Amino acid sequence: MTPTPYSTIGPFFPGQFAAGCEDLTVLHGKRARGQHILLAGSVLEEGNVPVRNAIVEIWQPDAGGVFRHPLDLRYAQADPGFFGWGRYRTDAQGRYRFRTVMPGRASNGNGALRWPHVNLMVLAIGVTRRLVTTAFFADTPETVDDPVFGCVPDPAARRRLITIRDHALDAEGLPAYRFDLILRGENETPFFLD
Amino acid sequence: MSSPAKNSTESQLSSDIEYAPYDDRTQSLRLIDRYPRSFTRNPSRPLILRPLTLSERTGPTELEARLPIGDGDLSCAVAGGPRAMGQLISVSGHVTDEDGAPLTGAVIEIWQANAAGKYVHELDRHEAPIDPHFIGEGRLVTDAEGQYQFRSIKPGAYPVMESDWWWRPPHIHFSIFGPTWMNRFVTQIFFPGEPLNESDLLFNGVPDLEARQRLMLQPQPTTVGSFNILKFRQDFVMRGKRATPALD
Repeated sequence: MTPTPYSTIGPFFPGQFAAGCEDLTVLHGKRARGQHILLAGSVLEEGNVPVRNAIVEIWQPDAGGVFRHPLDLRYAQADPGFFGWGRYRTDAQGRYRFRTVMPGRASNGNGALRWPHVNLMVLAIGVTRRLVTTAFFADTPETVDDPVFGCVPDPAARRRLITIRDHALDAEGLPAYRFDLILRGENETPFFLD
Repeated sequence: MSSPAKNSTESQLSSDIEYAPYDDRTQSLRLIDRYPRSFTRNPSRPLILRPLTLSERTGPTELEARLPIGDGDLSCAVAGGPRAMGQLISVSGHVTDEDGAPLTGAVIEIWQANAAGKYVHELDRHEAPIDPHFIGEGRLVTDAEGQYQFRSIKPGAYPVMESDWWWRPPHIHFSIFGPTWMNRFVTQIFFPGEPLNESDLLFNGVPDLEARQRLMLQPQPTTVGSFNILKFRQDFVMRGKRATPALD
């Protein structure tokens, strides 16, 4: 059986479905371990026009690099204060912002390690199948040693997968890392085959 | 006996098959004629093939402990309260993987317009009335057999206010959390026999006819008794676990 066809979320995804999902640093009253950060940015369409009412979802390992999922061999050590998943509905300026933790280096499932990263997906009017990408944390692209990062052939595009430490977005005493999701255009974000 | 090198190749191969990229023919087009947003919000460059590591092959679990799950009845705004206007319906079905194995504990989110074609949403500019007894959103979780069921009212058609001709046929939105990041899924399902189905850009955006029909609710045999409701069935197949024959 082939998978059921995908479709767009359209304009009327309930705001209630995103309420409270932007903070990944508390789970069942427990505080997540590690460095708390803001992961923030804008969703932009062609012409760098902000996309309001888009849904951004993220999935990432905890500060120790463990996924809260039974396939991770270190599942039992997953941070009880960290869920790993979040959702945000972009505002009128197309902005999103998650409160999360700096991800640790996770296993790639094959004996090696992934570079610290967060998986993102975008849903919106006009996006008939989700768009998936990955944000990396690094001072320079050259230091990133990662099998997914390495798949992006164009160095300029690869650079756009690295979050930018943006002091202007700092809030609540937390350091902000900017990652814009540019859906189409000269400087579009690299997206992966899904 | 196979060499260790061969074994590692095979394990790599089988993990790739588990989440083979979606087949474009049986999925929605990304660029749809007369749907302008699709041309400004989808990448111009080819999507990049990447290896699927643990990060992509895991995903949120125990979502039902994190997100409030409803009672499966969208036909009234509060449990036991007055029923919303419109045709009472029930929708049920299975969520499985590509091998037909049931997906237990999959969280399903549903949203839809009311019987007049109006959403409870601040961005809905259609002048149709709000129904005080209808919210039009709900969250469910599949049971041990991968089954879900909910009660609602049949949504109305509505005009796409950004266009000068397009009316959406009655449809219900589904967002489904499969067990991993690779089977996070969103779609819309439609009602059979609706004239507007024929001109709908999204329904017809799936090139393969057979695949398109799988977005169509299946009417179930009608019954009349002390409680009366029109029943429909809708199954979902999530990507994942395409079992290949054992090599030895």
